[in-house]
Amino acid sequence: MAKKSKGRQRITMAKMENESNLQVTFSKRRSGLFKKASELNTLCGADIAVVVFSPGGKVYSFGHPNVENVLNRFKNINQPPLNQNNNVRFNEARPNDAIRVMNDFLTQVMNDLELAKKKNEELKKIRKNSKMPVNWWEDPVEELDLAHAKEFKGLLEKLKSYVTDEASKHFQAIFPQPNFYGGSSSGAPFRDGGYINPNLDPSERRMFNVNAYYNQNMYPPNYPLPYGNNNYAGGFVPEYSLNYMHGFNQYRNQNQNLNFKEEGISENECHQDGLPPHI
Amino acid sequence: MTRNRVKMAYIENETSRKATFRKRKGGIMKKALELSTLCDVPIAVIVQSEYNSVPEVFPPSRQAMGNVVARWDSLPLVDKTKKMMNQEQFIQQRITKATESCKKVAKENKELAMKEVMYDCLRGDTAPCDLGEDELRDLGGVIDQYIKGLNRRIQVLMRDHASSSTSVVPDADVATSVAMPTAEMGSSSNVKDFDLNQTQSE
Repeated sequence: MAKKSKGRQRITMAKMENESNLQVTFSKRRSGLFKKASELNTLCGADIAVVVFSPGGKVYSFGHPNVENVLNRFKNINQPPLNQNNNVRFNEARPNDAIRVMNDFLTQVMNDLELAKKKNEELKKIRKNSKMPVNWWEDPVEELDLAHAKEFKGLLEKLKSYVTDEASKHFQAIFPQPNFYGGSSSGAPFRDGGYINPNLDPSERRMFNVNAYYNQNMYPPNYPLPYGNNNYAGGFVPEYSLNYMHGFNQYRNQNQNLNFKEEGISENECHQDGLPPHI
Repeated sequence: MTRNRVKMAYIENETSRKATFRKRKGGIMKKALELSTLCDVPIAVIVQSEYNSVPEVFPPSRQAMGNVVARWDSLPLVDKTKKMMNQEQFIQQRITKATESCKKVAKENKELAMKEVMYDCLRGDTAPCDLGEDELRDLGGVIDQYIKGLNRRIQVLMRDHASSSTSVVPDADVATSVAMPTAEMGSSSNVKDFDLNQTQSE
């Protein structure tokens, strides 16, 4: 893939020539300047105001405690001070509680974001490394020919049907029906959790440890959220543990050293011994 | 990138705080100058700290500062407040953006992980019965998405076939000896339905 941009470049300290670059630069740097101002206030308790006019003439401003307050104090500096209390207020310079809580929360979100991005990189790397040219179905859809596309579609539809079947069993576990999970009748489908891949020696079949795979990794903030940002805590997508991925790759690289479960245990994982509640 | 990640909270240590203030204030003034020069726009920065009874400002010249302030004063209140922010509002905005970004990446991560699971199933390394309820749901979603993509691709290809003069017979005999996905999940009696490793001549 060709490099998308030239990266960081040294820039001459003069008005930018390219109009659209200028707009983009303005937007980014203005935002960065506000961020720096915000941090200066948080870290050092200084009052600050930043006023910026855009190339188009709009005004952006940031200030703590607010823009007008700081501006007015600046203006009044030139006049004999009517109230001498300008410096007294720095006993209260510490950011108030609401801001502190918000900053803590912001830090947490930024950490989560960083983690998520890292995982993103790793997942993409895994895909790249595990791609085997011989597996044509792992190629992007755009590269498939008609026959392959149709074939793959059929296969996926079948897989989907198994998935929905399996999912419906979970549903039925909540509303159990008598005798659904009969005993050990050999005719029952999915009984041995089984799939028999002729490519694999049956003794090498690997059963996933479901718990290792599905790692519910929610980050509830442990302090009250001032803005009740429930969407974040509740809606944050549980992350799939990378433990799964590592095990997966281990398996691919060395077919020995497999960690597979006994048939008996896998049965339990595959369907609960769901007898209806004893009435 | 940085030597020490600074915690975004008031610095209690007097010496550290003063040093940090000095450095960062300098940095802000520099950035203000750069922004003002690169984009040729008026800017004003006013900093009022415990270390100086006089506010420290940019631009340093009294006249330049006066010009910006005058321009600000001349604006109607509506224009001033449209893009005005204080700390609470600013931090909230950052939180919102970061949260959205995070959700987006997390969603993509889930899809990527599920895609691997899908390939696993096709390879026979795992099967739907191994998966939990939520995973099944997500896997179903990813499969559906993929099928949609395949449908689009098929449509495009059929259109191209229709428009081309030669009629192409899709190669139904997928008897190539390359690996084929095997969507394994049934009991042994179902295997033959899936196992494309055998030639289609059956």
